[in-house]
Amino acid sequence: MMQSSPFNLRRAIIWIGRLVLGGIFVYAGFSKLLLPNTHLWPMFVLKFSISMNISSFAQQVESYKMISPEASQVVAHTLPFVEIVLGLLVLIGWRLRIWAAAITAIMVAFLTVVTRAYLLHMDINCGCFGTPEKLTGMTVVRDGVFTLLALLTTIFVFIEERKPHPWAAPEKA
Amino acid sequence: MPIIPAPVVVAKEASPLPPPQSAAALTDVDPHKAFGSKNAPITMEVFSDFQCPACKTLFITTNRRLMDDYVSTGKVYLIHRDFPLAMHAHSRVAARYARAAAQLGKVEPVEQALFQNQEKWEQTGDVDGTVAAVLSAPEMNKVRALVKGGALDSMIDKDFALGQTYRVSQTPTTVFHCKGQTYPYSGVMTYDILKTFLEQLLSQK
Repeated sequence: MMQSSPFNLRRAIIWIGRLVLGGIFVYAGFSKLLLPNTHLWPMFVLKFSISMNISSFAQQVESYKMISPEASQVVAHTLPFVEIVLGLLVLIGWRLRIWAAAITAIMVAFLTVVTRAYLLHMDINCGCFGTPEKLTGMTVVRDGVFTLLALLTTIFVFIEERKPHPWAAPEKA
Repeated sequence: MPIIPAPVVVAKEASPLPPPQSAAALTDVDPHKAFGSKNAPITMEVFSDFQCPACKTLFITTNRRLMDDYVSTGKVYLIHRDFPLAMHAHSRVAARYARAAAQLGKVEPVEQALFQNQEKWEQTGDVDGTVAAVLSAPEMNKVRALVKGGALDSMIDKDFALGQTYRVSQTPTTVFHCKGQTYPYSGVMTYDILKTFLEQLLSQK
């Protein structure tokens, strides 16, 4: 976990990256499970809502025409949970280098996929969150910004954790 | 690999009208587009758009089995509702043809033809030719007359307005009514997921 120390730009970006990316990943994961169908009770109704939402997300994945329907189902059944766990880990800050790097890798993959779809003029929803949202140039820009933030956060986390702690006793010669 | 774009949002925000609470409260049911017994314990209203790929998927993957296992056995009263989205250039025309065919008792083959050949007619706009392929010449003449008559639009508009009361914002959306409860669900469901849900609705006390 990051230790407390004097604030600087690098640390500010790490904090912003953790809060923004962690928050977005947690929201993205939960929204894929709980939106657009939001019936929560009784239990079988909640299960049906989540099944429907995952099914809709699987279709959004499939609409990119990059993987098979079976693989789309696997992605739809795993990605929301991965997003929630990664988001929480980054917010908590435990082993930040690993999880920030993982989020960066996922963001690069997202950016690649939406850019490809945009360049191919695919008339599809982006599947970024639970509610349907058209894939447009703004989607690509938004993912680009998040990817850049993830990349900077990861680089800065690596730099910070390699440096000795500023409040630590100086090494003896 | 088939293109199955996700459900799309295009409808305007619905006015906050309360939805009907039971099947008995359902109004404006076109008997030609409703299947099964009105006394069935579950009523399903399916709001769909003939040009929507997700609606095609729902129709092809679940409709036949739903009809065989639940509608024809008296467990589900199934109502097909039109919800033609403005973003689809030919969906209202397709809805008119399906409505017209329904008046002749030919809704099933026409709906099937429209969904099965969706990619073709959405490119060419040839809804007429798609429908003509599954109807006889006299039937097709009657369908064309009904479509030209212009009376079908009001029926489609009623379905659309009803969808808005349920806050339908994307297609397909299925509204389940059972034991005084109303559950609107948007998106495509596999038959297995639907079956599990229907069984649980039926076993509900």
